[in-house]
Order: sequence, then C-alpha cells, then structure tokens
Amino acid sequence: MATFKDWALQYVLSDDETVQHEFSEKAAKEIENARANSTVLGNWALSVNQWLTTASAGDDDDGEDGDEAPSGDIIARAKALGFMADTLEVLGRNTLKSEQVRFLVGFFGAIFSYDHKAGITAATKALRQLYSMKGFNASMGVKMLEDVLKIKEDFRLQTGATRLEIYELFLSLLQDQSVSSELQHKYGTSLGFIVDLLQLCQHERDPKNLLVWFKILPTLLRDYSPSPEITEEIFKAFSAYFPISIRSSATPIGITAEDLKEAVRGCFASHQRVAPLAFPFLMQKLDQGDAVTVTVKVDILRTIKACIEQFDHPQNSVVPYIDKIWSSLKYEVRNGEVKETIDATLEVLRAIAKRLDGTKTFKYDAAMLKNYIDMVFKDCRDDLSNPTYTKQAGLLLVTVITANIKGFYLESANLLDCIRQNLRQPKSPSHTRDLVLLLNSILRARQELFEGRANGHPEDVEQLKTGPDPANLESLFHEVYVPIWVGKPKAPGSVNSSEDWSEDRYIPHWVQKPNKPDTVTTDTLKKVAQGLALLVSQRRISQSGGVFRLCSSNTSSDICSLLARCLYNPLTLSSNDQDTTSADLENEVVLALRTIVMNHRETYNTLMSFAKLEIEKRHWTNPSRHSLAALKDLFSRLAFIGCSDFPINITTETSPEVYYSPLQHLITFAAIQLTFFPFYRPNDKNSFKESPAKSYVISALHAALLHFRDACVARYQQADLVKYSGSEQNWIDEYKSLPEDWLQQLRSDPSKTDATVWSLKEDDPEVYRQFLKVGLFFVRSLYIDASKSSGTWNEAALFQLSKIAALVVRALDEKLQTTCLLAKEAFNFFRPSTEPVQEGMPTPFGGLLTLGILEGLWPQAMTELYQPDGLADSYMLDVRRTKDITPASTEIRAAIGAILANKYKGPPSISPCFLKELVNTATTSIEHVDPKTFEANIKIAMNILAGAAARQDKYIVEAVPLLRAAISSPSPNSEIAAQSLGIIVQDNEFLTAENHAVVKRFFKQWAYNYVAKPLFELALPKPQSDPATGAKYTTAILSLVRNCPFTVYQDDLEPLIRLLITSLAKGSPGLTNQEIARKRTVSALEILVEVLTNEPDSVKGHLKPIITNGMNLYNDISREHDLQLVMSRKLVLQLLGAIPTKFEERHLLPYAPQMKRMLATACGDSVREIRKTAIIARENWSKIGA
Amino acid sequence: MDNANPTILDVSQLPSRRQKQTKARDGPDSKYDHILFPKQAWPWGPKNSSSWPSDEEDEADDQDQDEEYVEEPIDEQEIYDLISSISDPEHPNTLGQLSVVNLPDIHITPSPVERLDPQALRTVVVELTPTITHCSMATIIGLAVRVRLESVLPPNYRVDVRMKDGSHDQDDQLNKQLADKERVAAALENDSLKRMLGDMLKTCAF
Repeated sequence: MATFKDWALQYVLSDDETVQHEFSEKAAKEIENARANSTVLGNWALSVNQWLTTASAGDDDDGEDGDEAPSGDIIARAKALGFMADTLEVLGRNTLKSEQVRFLVGFFGAIFSYDHKAGITAATKALRQLYSMKGFNASMGVKMLEDVLKIKEDFRLQTGATRLEIYELFLSLLQDQSVSSELQHKYGTSLGFIVDLLQLCQHERDPKNLLVWFKILPTLLRDYSPSPEITEEIFKAFSAYFPISIRSSATPIGITAEDLKEAVRGCFASHQRVAPLAFPFLMQKLDQGDAVTVTVKVDILRTIKACIEQFDHPQNSVVPYIDKIWSSLKYEVRNGEVKETIDATLEVLRAIAKRLDGTKTFKYDAAMLKNYIDMVFKDCRDDLSNPTYTKQAGLLLVTVITANIKGFYLESANLLDCIRQNLRQPKSPSHTRDLVLLLNSILRARQELFEGRANGHPEDVEQLKTGPDPANLESLFHEVYVPIWVGKPKAPGSVNSSEDWSEDRYIPHWVQKPNKPDTVTTDTLKKVAQGLALLVSQRRISQSGGVFRLCSSNTSSDICSLLARCLYNPLTLSSNDQDTTSADLENEVVLALRTIVMNHRETYNTLMSFAKLEIEKRHWTNPSRHSLAALKDLFSRLAFIGCSDFPINITTETSPEVYYSPLQHLITFAAIQLTFFPFYRPNDKNSFKESPAKSYVISALHAALLHFRDACVARYQQADLVKYSGSEQNWIDEYKSLPEDWLQQLRSDPSKTDATVWSLKEDDPEVYRQFLKVGLFFVRSLYIDASKSSGTWNEAALFQLSKIAALVVRALDEKLQTTCLLAKEAFNFFRPSTEPVQEGMPTPFGGLLTLGILEGLWPQAMTELYQPDGLADSYMLDVRRTKDITPASTEIRAAIGAILANKYKGPPSISPCFLKELVNTATTSIEHVDPKTFEANIKIAMNILAGAAARQDKYIVEAVPLLRAAISSPSPNSEIAAQSLGIIVQDNEFLTAENHAVVKRFFKQWAYNYVAKPLFELALPKPQSDPATGAKYTTAILSLVRNCPFTVYQDDLEPLIRLLITSLAKGSPGLTNQEIARKRTVSALEILVEVLTNEPDSVKGHLKPIITNGMNLYNDISREHDLQLVMSRKLVLQLLGAIPTKFEERHLLPYAPQMKRMLATACGDSVREIRKTAIIARENWSKIGA
Repeated sequence: MDNANPTILDVSQLPSRRQKQTKARDGPDSKYDHILFPKQAWPWGPKNSSSWPSDEEDEADDQDQDEEYVEEPIDEQEIYDLISSISDPEHPNTLGQLSVVNLPDIHITPSPVERLDPQALRTVVVELTPTITHCSMATIIGLAVRVRLESVLPPNYRVDVRMKDGSHDQDDQLNKQLADKERVAAALENDSLKRMLGDMLKTCAF
C-alpha cells in the first residue's frame, strides 16, 4: 500500500505527463501482477484517500460559499483521481473482475453527485475505461448514465474538454446494443432519461462537442423508438441549431461550418419518425422569403434532400409532404436567379423522383411516381408555351422525368408531344431555341439512362425493351429538326425520308438568303446540330437483349446529308458571305457529324464520296484564294470527323452484320484522299500544277494520322502504346507482297482481304500497332511516288510528307525500325532498286524525304549508316561537292547533318568521318570561296557540330583550334564564321528527346566552356592586338552566349559586360559586314537585358557607358527600317527602361534629363510595339529626379 | 456620387485593334493547324502560299511576317487605347467602359493616314462625354486624360482635351479650364489632386 501511496503522491506532485504516465503504468503493472487481488486493488483505491477526505471536508464548506475551498486541494484531488483514471487506462482490459468493475463504477459515478469541481474529468475518463473492460455489463452502463446525469446544471460549468469526454461516454453507452436494451427495459417507452439528457446538454456551443452531440441524437431516434412527445423534444434539441454556422476564429479548431451542417443534416435525416416535424419546419424556414441568404437556402434544400433520400417508407414519410415541397420549390427554379439555389432545388426534385421509384433491388408502386410527375407536368405544361419561362419549365420537367427509367417511360412521350406542339407555333426565335435545348436535354438524359441501365433494377431493363415506340423519337428528325433547320415549319408527316443526296430540300434557308442568320438563330441551329448528333447516338434494346442503334439507316443517312450541306457551303459561297457566326455553326456541325459517323459507320463512306463529287464537279483550273481556303477547311474537317475517334461497333436490328474495324474511317479517308493527289486533271496540267491544294491533300492525311494517334493515346495506357509500337515481322517485306491499291481494296471489300485490320476490337491496343502499320504503308507508297514522279510534288507537299514520315517512324520501336531497315530507306525511299536516288528528285527538296525518316529514328536503328563508307559518310561528303547553295537546301542538309552527327552510337573515341571532313573543309576553304558558298558550308558544319555537341562528342574540343583559325583569318568570310558559332548551342527542333536525339543535360555549359570561354582572352582589347580580330572574337562569343541560359555564363560576367559595351559603341568597330554588325548588336542587347534581369549588381559599375552608348545607339538608328535595327531599337529601350527599376535614384540622376528627352521622342517611334516599350521606359524614368 | 448607376460596357465590347484583324479559324479540327499549315517551317522553308501566284493582298500579308515590327503611325485607336483604361474617380470602371471616352470623338490633325514626317507637329483633340451633364468630376477626368497623353506622346504632339458639345452644363468653362496651361500646372501642384490622378492612372495598361 505504501508503494501505491508513494506513486500516487509522486503523480500528484509531478507536472510532467510522461512522469505521471510512468507512475500510473507502475500501478497498473502492480495490479496486473497481483491478478487484481482485492487487497491490492483496495490499497490502490485507498492510495488517493488523503486527497479525497480533504475534499469532502472542503466541499462541506463549499456548500455555503462556493469558491472558498483551497484551490490547491482541488488541483491535488483532480490529480489524484487522474492517477486512478490513468492507471485504469493502462490496465489490461481483462484484469478486473465484474464486481470490481461494478465497485469502481459506483465509486466514480458517485463523484458526479458531490465533486463537480475536481473530479469530473478524471471520473469520466475512468468510466470510459471501465466501459471498455471485459467485466463491464449492461446494468453498469445504465448506472453510469444515471450517475452522470446527476451532475445537472453543473454540466455547463465544466470545461469543453471535460464535456467532450462526457459526450463520448454517452455516445458509447447509448450506441451499445446491450445497454440500449437494458435502458428500454428499465424505462419503457417513456424513456425518461432522454428528457434529462436533453436538458443536460441543451446549451452546448462548442463545435467539437456539438459534433458528438449530433451523433447521440440520431442514435436516440433510430435505436430507441421514442414516443411522439419525446421525438418532438429530441427534434427541438437539434432543430434549434438550424441553420448552423460558425464564427471565424483566430485559432482554427479544425472543424468547418460544413462539418456542422452535415452533422445537423444527419440529425434531420436520421429517422422517418421526425418527418412530420422536419418537413414543415424546413419548408417554413425556406418560405421566409428574402430573409434567407443563399447559403442558408442551399443548406435547407440539401437538408430536405437528405431527408427524402434517407427516410424509410417514403409512402408515409415523404409522399404526404410532396405537394407542399413542390409548391414551395417550383418558384425557386421558375423565378430564381441564383444558380446555386436552382441547382440545389433541382437536386431535391430529382431526389423525390428517385426515392419514389425504389432501389436497385426493390421497386415501389408506379402510381406514386406517376402522381408526382403528373403534378409537376400539370404545373409546367403552360409555361412551355410562354417564352419567358420555357427554359425553367423545361429544366423542372427534365429533372423530374429523367431521374429514372420508369419516370422517363411514363411521361417522356407526353413531354415530347408538348414540345412538338409548341415548336409548331413558336412565340419567338429564342422560344424555339429553348425548346430545342429542352429536346436535346431529353435525348441526352435518355442516353445516360440507357448507359446506366446495368446499375438499375431488372424491371428497368424490361421497361427499356417494351418502352414507348422508338419511332416516336426517330420521327423527331423529320417533324422537328428538319423544319427548324430549313426554316420552314412543316406539318407532321409531310416529309418523307429519301436517300437522294443532291436534293435541295435540305438546304437551309439561310444559305440562299442574302441576310445571314442572327445570333439567336445561329444558336438554335447549333442546338439542332447537337440534337441530331444525340438522336443518332440513341440506342434500343431488343427482346433478346441485344443493343442496337435506334435510328434506322435511312434516317441516319438523311441526318448526315442534312448536316453535310453545311460543310460544302464554303465551296459554294463567296468570301463575303462567310462570317464568324457561320463558322461557329460549321464547327458545331463538324462535331455533330463526328458523332454521327462514329455511330452509323456507313455514313462516313457516303460523306467522303459525296465530298469527292462536290470537289470534282467544281473547276479548279484557276481557283480563288477563298476557294482554296474552303478546300483546305473541308479536307481538315473531313479528317477530323472520321479519324479523331474510334467508330462504334453497332448496327440496327434489321440491318445485316457489317464489317467493323476501328481503323475503317482512317482507311476510307486515306483511300479517297489519295485519289485527289496530285490534284490536277491530265489536260490542265500546267494551270494547276503548282497549286497548294496538293499540299492540302497531304496535310489532311497528316491531320488524320495525328487525330487518330490522339484517339489511341486517349484510349490506351502509355505502357500499352509502348508495347504495341513494335513487331516481330518486317513490315516493309510484307508491303512488298501487297498490291499497290491495297488501301482501296481494304476499304471497298473487307471480305476479300484477310488483313488483321478487320478483326480488331475497340479496346485491344493491337489497334495502335495496326494504325502504325497502315501509317507506314502510306509513308512508303507516298515516298515511292514522290521519288518516281518528281513533277507532281511541290515543296509544301513534300514537307508535309516528311512530317508524316517523322510522325510514324518516331512512334515505332527501335527493333522494328532496325528490322525494316528504315535507316537505309531514308536514303533509298523504299524503292525496290538501289540505283542512285537523288536523280529525278526535285532538288533541293529530296532531302526533305531523308530528313523525315531520320528525324524519327532511334540511334540504335542507325548504326549501319556509320559503317566506313556507309550512307552517312557518302551522303554528307556528297554535300561538299554540291553546287546548290540556296538557303532552303542548305537548311535541309544542315538539319540532316545535325541528326546524323547526333545519333551516332559508335565508340566514343571515334567520331563519324564526315564530321571531321566537313568541318575541315568548311573552315579551311575560308579564303578560297565566295561568301555565299562559305555561309552555306559553315552553316552545315556548325549544325553538324551542334549535333555532336548535344551528345558531348570529344571532337568538339579538336575542332576549336580550327574554328579559332577561321575566325581570326583575314578573309571577310571570317566574320560569317564568327557569327555562325552560336548555331552550336542554338535550340534545334530536330535535336529533341521526342525525336530520340541524344541531348546531354548540361551540353550547353560544356560547349560554352570548350568553345566560348577560351575566346574571352583573345576578344578583350590589348595594346598590341588587332581590334578587328578582337571584334570578330567578340561576335563569336556573343553569338554563342545569346543562345545559352544565364546560368551558363554567369561566372564570366565581368569580361562579358566589357565586350557587350564595346559592341554597343557607335559604328560597331572592327566589323566590315554591316548585317553581322547589326546581328551582333541585337545579341549584345539581348544578353544585357538578361544580365540586368538576373544580376543587376554586375552592371552597376558600367552604368555610364551602357546608358550613353544605349542612348546614342537609339538616336543613330531611330529612323532605320531594317528588321535587325528595329529589333535593336526595341531592345535598347527595354534595357534602358529597366535600369530605373534596378538601381537607386542617385546612380541615375546625372543621365535623367537627357534620357527623358530621348524617351519622349522615342514615344513617337514609327513602330507601335516600340512606342509601347518607350512609354514604359518613360514612365520608369519619370520618377528619377521628379 | 453624381451618377450612381451609369451604363457600363463589357471590356469585350470596347473598340480594339483585334476586332479589325481577321480572326484565324478556330474549329475543333484546327488543333494541329500550326503543324499542317505552318506559315514557314524554317527561315527559308516552304510557305503555304509561296507556290501560288499571289495578288496584292497576299504580298501585304507576306510582308507582315514580323507583325510585331510593322511601321504604323499613332492613330485614333492608339490614343483610345492609351486613355480608355484610365479609371473613373467614382466608379470601379474605366473611362472606356463608361463611354466617357469614345473612339469617334478622338481626332488627330493632320490625319495619321497622311504619312508626314514623324517630327511634324500634330494635334490630338479628345472630346469627353461625362456620364451625366452635371458631373462634378468632369474636370478631374479631363485633367487625367491630359496628363496621361502628355506623359506618353512625343513632344511634337499637342493635346487638346475638351467636353463634347452639350455633354456638360458648363462645358465652356471646363474647356477653358482644361486648356489653361497655368491652371493645369497649378492643379498638378496640389497633393491630394495628384494622389487622385495617380490612382486613376494606375490601371493604364502601358
């Protein structure tokens, strides 16, 4: 006993929780060791006796005058009881025997009767521990509850944390099944303890405690079947808090207003018992009019919704209140303006419809739902004919009717009839628009209900089978949509379907009329297009359970032909008739047509064939710019319509099984598209030979492939795409055995071709492999054609072809690229023979074809090219001999050179032969060749170096002396060499990871260190050095630095800034070539702006020369028109304008007057963009010396 | 506040240079137009229309390749852009949105169409339309427009700000006040006025 006493004493004396915990653990262990021997337990209980006895004495005094008991006693007493509670917490759950638990329950329970000041926290804690003991039983629970309730009014005086403990205790006890039955047994239906409980807790304000309290109240309602009187009391307890909010506090407690709202909502929706109280209460709150804020309104509506969803037996708990709810809520939508409220209201109405229908496993009597929908329908019907309320009435009806399949089949036919009637006599264009919108919503909802049928009741699926006649929906096309589209309302049934595509009856009135449709009409027409797409997407389910298209083939074709008109219009109209509204409509039509051809696959064939007819029947001998643009748009749209998604494998019930392939539209498009190429008829060869229309054909093919690739990316996982980008077979060999018109065959007669293409499923990633295979087939056929018939291809078409090749080749894995020998084909163009390939090719653009394939190859697939005397060497060395030095061909060769130099995978010590040869030739020929040839040579050489630099080829280090020699050469070409140096680190579209190029992360830093850094020493002026050579080195450095990020050169700012200032000096000293001097100025200014932005302090010591040189430069070039000089003007103003934002006024004061004058003049610059920069600069400087 | 409920235009309704340019097609299918129909693939690469005989309009287009650096004189739209973004002293809107500044009420003489020497003297006349005829803020608005233009136009531009005829009860008096250099200079010495002008000009775009 002495030990327990000792521990208790030390516990009471300590303020450290860890120390306290130690003692309670010791005590617990002692009790456990003694197997809860009564003596030990008694000792333990008596160990705190000294504080308790004082307490009773103190309490006697307290009876008279409240707080006079020594506070020290209270604290010690609380701690002593805490010792006991803590010991119980650590004690094993099985240690105490039942009678011991009972004894302790009695002991701690008694504290609630007499020690309200010190003991409550510890006693509650102890009771909670006792509740979880094995020896606990239900009768103890009842006792606990009764004891705790004795605290009465003093409950409010306890701290929040103590109250929380008590609430938690209540919650555990009340939720306990055995305690619950014991309580009900003891108190009967009157449940008197609940009244005490409600009284005890009625003033709670602490959010944390409220959250627990709001869990206790639903428990009482759910598990205790209280009498109506008690129910009402409980209802009052939580409804008093409604609507609940929380004051923002400086010390957040981690509970939001939303948590509390949810909790109160949980009370309302806890049991249908409160329905007679809850609904009238909530409706009365809602009907307070403007006094209710939006947040509160939404809270009320959500609470109503929760009640509707969670109350059992809706026939008794919800149905009686529906009338009242509806009559209150309809105005929220009909006359409401706040979106949140309207949405929440619609949610409630939808929830009612869903609740009355039943659940996935159980359905209620259909009459309940029917009565509800009828009531809504009756109230909204008239509003549909009133343009002001059509939208709102539609919203209400759609919400209620489309909540579930049963509702939809009960009433949708009536609603459709009603809309039809109104559409026959619309009150205004916007009325028509709203009605069409409503119609579309119904169709969309039907689609969603159909798709969600698997989650519904079997009865729902039956309903779908036997539901209203689908013809009713299908007839919407002829009876509703067509009349609106053509602008002539027609009597129902007067239009018969027809397959005649050329018939004019579907031509919209606005195509023929000179006056264009207004915005509302365009809007309506857009909605019609959307509606038609929805109509074609509808499905039906047959008696046998098969899913089919709802619309017949005839209707689908008619819809397609109706909309297709819109696509061909631009070909017919003049440029004046085109405007943005019609473009908007066309875009909507494009989207609608896409949906249509995906659902009804046959229509795409017809669409393409008809487009072909439309194009061919026009004269293309001398087309206007507008016609060409229209042709371009048409191609681009047809590609998007057919190839931006996978067609859906579905037919009508009556039509025979049709061959299906996700690739079928792509094949159709490509096959028909290729028949256009080269887009001239043999007899007008000369007139249309050079038309851009050629390139449009190839561009469209490119577009189709891009769109289809996107569709694959959207549908499959990235890992699948990687997995399916290769093949064991050599595709090129396979192609050789295929006829030339394989595509045509594939398209026209799937039954005769045994290609994998026609056995693909939508969700099989094999689709992607087959797509690549078909893509490579296009590339191969077109390459063969381009290399054979030079005259038919123009530059733009070849360029597009090379991009197609890049797109397809890039996607193939390296193994397949190697098997197909694509590296070789980059030079052989897939031709069967190996005769010299450059002959017969349109120079210089044959290189584009090579470039296209090389661009997408993996380095590993190119190793063969680098054999001694391999294709890489022979091609690049041929470049040396070429006489063609036009900028375009130089660019192409330079790009090829860069790729070949970059994707070399040989031993690191050996660089490809051509690398050395070309750089050598270019640099050593400096004195013998004319500037143009030199420029071309050096550009190619520098691009090759760029390719090598990106993978950090050691050869760069070897090349530096050659470059230095070239720059310092006395030849005028040396300036060109200096200016070209930047190409080595310039961003290059071919040297990117996407194109499988080898780009080291820090290669710019690396190249800068080896190439530019050694030049600083040579560039800086020295007494005996030649200023011209220095200027050239400066040019070289700046050209390179300009293409590097700031971090690369930030360690060399001091010498760099000196060079920059020299470059700004008047007359660009040392350079003879004006153009190069101008480019150098632009580079210098760009670098200065960069330095000023990143490290202004480094410029501080050079402000005077920068400002004066800058001002002089602007004044010198202020009237020039050369692009480089105009750019310089803008940059110099940008530089000068940024200075005041970086430095203190005292550094700038001496320059301010002159600068302000100059900037004022600059505000009148001839170029608008420069004026804008000048205004900013002027504003910044205006603060200096003001 | 003089006019508590003025008509406010949406920013998209204000006259801007963008509306004058033809809008590029922006359909669901034009996602890849930059790849399929590039203006130029590289500096000397194929231009889409290059191989097609071009008319005059095309040539103008070709020259526009560096649209950013096209030479254009200061025109009425530019003056409008400079001042329409000034905030109203009373409303949280700009002068353009409140139609105090209107494009047709800006006149430059000689007209910018006549491409004279850039240094030649020109006069910009801006006529303001206060939202109500007894607007007490008209002077300060006029002053702000004047200050703004003088701080952004080159020295060879003279600025004349006045009230549109009949738009204000005391337009003569206001016009005199705004044209009087000394009174303008004196007004700018006033600290509270200066602060107010500073607030109004804060919203100016550039």
